[in-house]
Amino acid sequence: MNLIMARAIIESLIFTSSEPITGKTIGEIVGISEHTVKQIVFDLIEEYQRSKRGIQILEVANGFQFCTHPECAPYIEKLQKVPRNVGLSQAAIETLAIVTYKQPITKAEIEALRGVSVESAITTLVDKGLIEEAGRKDSPGRPIMYRTTKQFLKYFGLNDLTELPKIPEWIGQNAAPNTETEPSEAETDVGIN
Amino acid sequence: MDYEIKLDVFQGPLDLLLHLIEKEEVDIYNIPIAIITEKYLDYLQTLKMFNLEVVGDFLVMAATLMQIKVKMLLPQSSFNPEETFEENETDPRWELAQKLIEYKKIKEASLTLQKLETHQSLVYTRSGGEFADKKITAAVDPLKDLSVWDLVDAFKIILDSLEEKPIKSLPKQEVSIKQRMTEIMDLVSKEGEVLFNKVFFEVKTKLALITCFLAVLELIRLRKISASQSSVFGEILISIPEKVSNTA
Repeated sequence: MNLIMARAIIESLIFTSSEPITGKTIGEIVGISEHTVKQIVFDLIEEYQRSKRGIQILEVANGFQFCTHPECAPYIEKLQKVPRNVGLSQAAIETLAIVTYKQPITKAEIEALRGVSVESAITTLVDKGLIEEAGRKDSPGRPIMYRTTKQFLKYFGLNDLTELPKIPEWIGQNAAPNTETEPSEAETDVGIN
Repeated sequence: MDYEIKLDVFQGPLDLLLHLIEKEEVDIYNIPIAIITEKYLDYLQTLKMFNLEVVGDFLVMAATLMQIKVKMLLPQSSFNPEETFEENETDPRWELAQKLIEYKKIKEASLTLQKLETHQSLVYTRSGGEFADKKITAAVDPLKDLSVWDLVDAFKIILDSLEEKPIKSLPKQEVSIKQRMTEIMDLVSKEGEVLFNKVFFEVKTKLALITCFLAVLELIRLRKISASQSSVFGEILISIPEKVSNTA
């Protein structure tokens, strides 16, 4: 198979996939190495950018996905008549920020930081699939801990947590988004031992 | 009142404290506790009227502030031995300062997430019929450089200027938040830009004022209107958010 053909196939695979498709999956289907896949995709990404197209390939949650260009959004919304939903509330986004940078973390620990109850914020975030339970803490009461999900990465257009800016001198055990707790693709229970 | 409205726009006691500290331009490590406590209680008075779920949390902080204030008044070597082992003879404000600094970082981090959210909300994937599910976020921040506390500030001024006239007859006049919201939307779309004060122009009773303010907050939350302020203590302007196309 020549390079041009491989390129075309890869483009079609990303196009038909509604979820971000990983380089590994593409590699297995096409029968080439993941490394080569990535090189070809990055080349494609660049081409779309260079020619200022209305669509682009984004690297999200460790996979590749076709997306529209942000500048086209108002027109797409006119066509699709999508209801203009409001984003996350301030309470939810603050709670999410804490989980993001301090995961895994319990509800009580989040409340100590925010100085206010986070019950409803946690429910919202779990409902939206942005955070999930990450086992229980080995402390009295064995409280549930939370961490961010793959959906979180997709929602914010991130490839992984390390793409988030580091917070300087953050007091606490995890000074930066922790790659260790990065949600794995297998969304099975990570629970208690 | 027939029903209660609960809003989570008030971010909690730490948020209010941070707002006060920034407004008074004081050092976070050297909080003039008397002044800040006084201002804080002042806000609490206003907040109580909104029937908030979180008022309890605000009261806890008020108690903490007063406790710190008392400790500051006591001579450093306290008579009460039980107090000292806990406080370790440090500045009673130390713990609060640490909390505030942590909280400030959280605010910064959430700002980052919010920016990403806004950006990502404009990006559509080609997932067939999933358009309806797509969570779309407003591309414009309805509160530009304002915080909800700035709105509470402005509202307090209006509230203070209210002189409830002696009532001769008692016409039953109930305006719901929903009704108010419609009225405000009409006003704003007609005039394009409306001074925050003007929204409350015709409103004469305390209850109606509160209803009106909650309506403004709700509209902002729904991103139907936005509030902006041209200068630090300037007038707050209410307007309809610009179309996304300008900001994209």
